[in-house]
Amino acid sequence: MKRFRGMAYPYVLFICILVVVPMLLIIAYAFTVEGTAFFQHQFTLGNFARFFSDAVFLQVLIRSLRVALFTTVICLLLGYPAAYCIAKSEKRQGILILIITLPTWINMLVRTYAWVGILQDNGLLNTVLGWFGIAPLHLMYTDFAVVLGMVYNFIPFMILEISSVLAKMDPSFLEAAEDLGADKKQSFLHVTLPLSLPGIISGITLVFLPSVSAFFIPKLLGGGSYVLIGNIIETEFLTAGNWSFGSALSLIMAAIIMLSIYLTRRIDKNRGDVS
Amino acid sequence: MKRLISAILLGAFTVIPLAGCGGPGTEFDGTNTTSSGDGKTLKIYNWGEYTGDNLLSNFEDEYDCTVIMETFDSNEMMYTKLEAGDQYDLLIPSDYMIQRLMKEDMLQPLDYGIIGNIDLLAEECSGLDYDPENEYSIPYFWGSVGIVYVKDKVDQADLETQGWEILRDPKYKDRIYMYDSERDSFMIALKSLGYSMNTDNEDEIQEAYDWLVEQRNTASPIYVTDEIIDNMLNENKDLGVMYSGDAAYVLAENDNLGYYEPQQGTNLWSDAMVIPKNAANPALANEFINYVLTYEASQDNTETVGYTSSNAEVFRDEASEGGMFYQNEAYIPRSDYEKDEVFHDNETIRKILSDLWIKVKAG
Repeated sequence: MKRFRGMAYPYVLFICILVVVPMLLIIAYAFTVEGTAFFQHQFTLGNFARFFSDAVFLQVLIRSLRVALFTTVICLLLGYPAAYCIAKSEKRQGILILIITLPTWINMLVRTYAWVGILQDNGLLNTVLGWFGIAPLHLMYTDFAVVLGMVYNFIPFMILEISSVLAKMDPSFLEAAEDLGADKKQSFLHVTLPLSLPGIISGITLVFLPSVSAFFIPKLLGGGSYVLIGNIIETEFLTAGNWSFGSALSLIMAAIIMLSIYLTRRIDKNRGDVS
Repeated sequence: MKRLISAILLGAFTVIPLAGCGGPGTEFDGTNTTSSGDGKTLKIYNWGEYTGDNLLSNFEDEYDCTVIMETFDSNEMMYTKLEAGDQYDLLIPSDYMIQRLMKEDMLQPLDYGIIGNIDLLAEECSGLDYDPENEYSIPYFWGSVGIVYVKDKVDQADLETQGWEILRDPKYKDRIYMYDSERDSFMIALKSLGYSMNTDNEDEIQEAYDWLVEQRNTASPIYVTDEIIDNMLNENKDLGVMYSGDAAYVLAENDNLGYYEPQQGTNLWSDAMVIPKNAANPALANEFINYVLTYEASQDNTETVGYTSSNAEVFRDEASEGGMFYQNEAYIPRSDYEKDEVFHDNETIRKILSDLWIKVKAG
């Protein structure tokens, strides 16, 4: 094994340059303000104080968490049965997985633009509805459009994570449950579901994280007034030129994300002890 | 569209400051062998979709050089990259940003020994406030901000009587696009209230903020950026705030659209060519400016992009019979109207407006 250790160095270097150093810079920016000509950067907690003292930012944070939560729950409800079917179908498993991953071959931005064409007032969907005499629906720039865009973009992660865990499950567990008199519902609830929990947890993590920090999906499908925390961070860096406040926001987000990962891992661990 | 995509890509890079050094670029290879550029490279930083189809390749052929052009989506993004240390030979920012770059001593004077075509510059956009002697800048495109409307859905009398206030009229609720930028939004609110768009009076700014919040509540506008071009073209909504250049393009494509500059006054803007102090090839950049001023290059630019040319002859030809923008009311912006203003850079106000704008949108 030792021989292979050296091969990890390029990756370690990669991580240092692209993750650790930027993270340190973000921390440095978050705790400083631009000062006078003598002290270029001065220590401050003002960036954080500003966030917690203004109701608007907390509102936006809550909205971001809510949208991400909705997205995750819908992905789980839609994704679990799909993953279950994929894992159960032995022959077609390869082709089904291909179908799930196929859309991800196309750039995410392009796919999201496609939804604009479908959902807009004079778009594809409303044209089709019009043929059946149904009045046009206002779908763009709503919660519906944003959550739809996020579910569409992130659901493959959920399905792949769960199905890979389910596919690896030893069928003899189910046979044993059956021998002991469990019906289908019971064996699902007491055997399949607990065993697939690691897949669910990593699926939730992989869907929740990008949804909570997404900024171009809300921008395209929600319009400029659909402000999530990712959009404020973008504005602070690119338009307002306030890197310090933008960094503080990024840091707050990172803390929330780490906390949520920690909590979901705890659930996983507890369940693991029980079974 | 391309502008927005590159914006987002660039945005994704710039959020990680370290990765902000890379960026999307387009490279063109020159082949011809006339002297002057001597195979040098000209590095341009410009708005997306802002050059004629053959502008860069023709320049490369004529001056034996290679042109590399990178694109930005907002003046602020350009400034951020410039501040991060990126080096360019030529920039094409807007008026107020040029004012800021001049103030911060980041530009070098133009070389009128090279730019002999200065006489071709339209009077309407020469010697503007921010650079009265054209010492540092020569306009590339110019125009105004106005309302694009769907002719058979919007009562033109409403536009005449209400001006900008039509954007708050409950009659047009859910039928309005606003431009998602604090500068343009506060301009509209301040003009509508009868104030200067360059005010530094905090009470007036507060009033403008209230105007925008009320607009959001009564008319539920959608805040968009470049998507507005396709959306207005398809008449997805009936009223939209647009730059005259984008308006000229959609009007040329769709006869049912009109352009209106409210009587309360509007913003007259210009995007101009400047040479940063640390340019590697200032001589070549001056040659490029001289080249852009020619009839052929200006015509190529304006016909491809749709924005108003800074070459006097070109923009008059385009607007008269037989021209591409004949009877297109957005192509020739209003001039000499006392209530129209040019935007001025003010660092304190900029930050205040930026904060307030987030609150308008997120509130």
